[in-house]
Amino acid sequence: MTAATPTARPRRPSRRQVLFGVAVLVALIGWAVVTLDVLPERLLRLPGGLAHIFHGMYLEEGPEWEYLPDAIGGMLESLQIAWIGTIIGAVISLPMGLLGARNVTGGIGSNVMRQVLNAIRAVPEVLLAVIVFIPIVGIGGTSSAYAGTLAIGVHSVGTLGKLTAEVVEGIDPGPVEAARAAGGNGLQVQRWGVLPQVMPEVVAFWLYRFEINIRASAILGVVGAGGVGEALTQAMAFNRLPRAGIIIIVIIVATILIDTASGWLRRRIIEGAAARVGGEALEQPEIAEVRTA
Amino acid sequence: MTSAAPPAGVRPAKPRRSPWTTVALVGFAALTWWAASTEFGIGFDVVRIFENITRGADIIAEFFPPNWEYLPRTYGPMLETFRMAVIASVIGCGVALPISFLASRVTTPNLVAFLVDRSVLNVVRALPDLLYALVFVAAVGIGPLPGILALVLFNIGVVAKLLSETIDGVDPGPIEAANAAGANRTQMVRWSVLPQVLPNYVAYSLYVFELNIRASAVIGIVGAGGIGNLINTERRFFRYDNLMVILIEIFVFVFVIELISIWLRRKLV
Amino acid sequence: MIRFENASVTYPGGVPALKGLDLEIPDGQMMVIVGLSGAGKSTLIRAINGLVPLTAGDVLIDGMSVRRARPNELRELRSRIGMIFQTFNLVRRTSVLNNVLMGRLHGAGTLRSLVGAYRPEDVEIAMQALERVGIVEKAYVRASNLSGGQQQRVGIARALAQQPKIILADEPVASLDPPTSHVVMRDLQRINRDLGITTIVNLHFLDLAKVYGDRIIGMRAGELVYDGTAAQADEHVFRDIYGRSLTADDVMGDPTARPATIAG
Repeated sequence: MTAATPTARPRRPSRRQVLFGVAVLVALIGWAVVTLDVLPERLLRLPGGLAHIFHGMYLEEGPEWEYLPDAIGGMLESLQIAWIGTIIGAVISLPMGLLGARNVTGGIGSNVMRQVLNAIRAVPEVLLAVIVFIPIVGIGGTSSAYAGTLAIGVHSVGTLGKLTAEVVEGIDPGPVEAARAAGGNGLQVQRWGVLPQVMPEVVAFWLYRFEINIRASAILGVVGAGGVGEALTQAMAFNRLPRAGIIIIVIIVATILIDTASGWLRRRIIEGAAARVGGEALEQPEIAEVRTA
Repeated sequence: MTSAAPPAGVRPAKPRRSPWTTVALVGFAALTWWAASTEFGIGFDVVRIFENITRGADIIAEFFPPNWEYLPRTYGPMLETFRMAVIASVIGCGVALPISFLASRVTTPNLVAFLVDRSVLNVVRALPDLLYALVFVAAVGIGPLPGILALVLFNIGVVAKLLSETIDGVDPGPIEAANAAGANRTQMVRWSVLPQVLPNYVAYSLYVFELNIRASAVIGIVGAGGIGNLINTERRFFRYDNLMVILIEIFVFVFVIELISIWLRRKLV
Repeated sequence: MIRFENASVTYPGGVPALKGLDLEIPDGQMMVIVGLSGAGKSTLIRAINGLVPLTAGDVLIDGMSVRRARPNELRELRSRIGMIFQTFNLVRRTSVLNNVLMGRLHGAGTLRSLVGAYRPEDVEIAMQALERVGIVEKAYVRASNLSGGQQQRVGIARALAQQPKIILADEPVASLDPPTSHVVMRDLQRINRDLGITTIVNLHFLDLAKVYGDRIIGMRAGELVYDGTAAQADEHVFRDIYGRSLTADDVMGDPTARPATIAG
């Protein structure tokens, strides 16, 4: 044997497309850097500025530990805003997500619902709070937190609704057909044919959204919509760096703790579901979000 | 056909519900009550939504019709937002790449390096973009620069988290093959891991780019440049018709980016 | 020559996979290992290139200890031992050529391989390896677009690109259909005969083992229970190795693809 088979070697395929793509990207970056009004000397101020802030927050007199109870109180309010906001989002997004799924509603109906969800999603929580809910419910007393909660709730409807619709579109059509064949009406089909299939993933999305909403609610105070952000904005505005320092520590610790707990819970839910459907791994919500974004 | 009952067998008892389900339900109810109550929580009240509903309708009505004559004045700030997003995405995604490899046990068996990287990443991810903007504005003054810096940190957090999880899940086969061929760690990562995660990396990069466009509408509120500056001005003057134009513009912008990113992803995967 | 000296592997948790194995494999031999799954076949193969570390004893390759090799020595050693896997272990999202070039990584240098600027000699070696398994026309095709049999040939080409002295094949045909299995086994046999590369193959199917092995060893519960020629290995021998009577699952049983012309 041996003489290697005399097939002709293929030519190396052209890389023109890749090169073109890279060229476009480089040009775009170059244009952005050159035309953007960022003075290099200001960039040079960055290390000094950051060092000054860090020094003021944690080194000079140390963080303002006496403010710790207030900071925790503010963070708890942020958590409450995030929790209630997520529940609002979950409750409203479930039917909207079902309606937005092509295999459930179909035709124009699902497309319209999809675009409604997209439009809601496009407006960030802070904007919703500042231009819609604060003007409506006002500021002060319980109103601030109320405005923040509604802002988070409405934005969550957009993101959760879209994810729910995507999950529903990926279900096995068999049980739906079976429910229909057994004479189930529309609602019954949803309840027994669709929901059992999607619930683990959807609940995991809710928890994941809660994690994101904590970050959002921690900053809603910047525009006066309740939570720990309010105190932080005040502290930064009046240059009370030690106080801002303790608030930031509280935000970091609380966020990481809840991320860990929620992540553990999500994995349990998803793994439990995966075990029931025979070991097939369900998708991580973050990754699913990117896929469907 | 007879109506005789089928042969009776032993019917199983209805299984008891797992105690964890009860714990979860009770915990959920307690948490919700705590958060919504007036004494301990935010005093959330469903009825109140309906009390405010007419005022809400009035305000929503003010968004219409959008003032299209305002559109040309948004082009400049919108372009600034676009440039900020480009620069922040490129830097953020670039920095996130090595951080992601350090944040996965698959590519970083060294426990110390892994834990340090993971901890830094968790702290970076714990803070929201607006808070970074607040700090950077204090450090370098207002303008697009603090906005870019805030977005860079935000992007590192998002991409490194997603990518390191993707790396955790790569097919270990090619890694074993590279090791069996005598490759060192760098070579193994370059030829066994990177090709597997590259399409995901591109998808995540496009995703944060899109997030940046939306985020820059917000961070402008604290003076970090872009379209958010304009939003901040218009809302102070209660020009909802102008705000509506900006919102529609952002929506269209994000929509177009989404179309491009879907097209690109289809080409890559 | 490969020499096992009292080689033992105990996995974490106390599961013994290899119990004090003594074995010699002369250069140029085509040796087939048979045994039930879990008998220690994969461990034996991976002990040779150190992918599974020994917990006692040693394996010597041309007198060099695998167990005492430092990390860079181990990589050097591995670069001279090609390996073929049951599930091919290709990077499916990249080209066939890039997969085969993985066999050149050790000599290429880190910086060069990082940017993919392989020397022309290395590309030439990779191309020749592809020609030897007859799929050079697929060089720039993505590995995921190939059939299972083609993918395994890419796996063989990757091992050949290392210009190895030894080839280890861990259940190379377990994921393939019977006719393709014979094609791949014939490729391995040809490489063994033409290039004189010592070839060690794990197989589950006894008939394949008898056709292609110069020498057959049987493993059972981490111990060597048979060592002889293919001709000597009759049904009784296999019954000893398997600890039970043979069933249809133990033979590939595809007479059409087993003509007498296979011999090199």
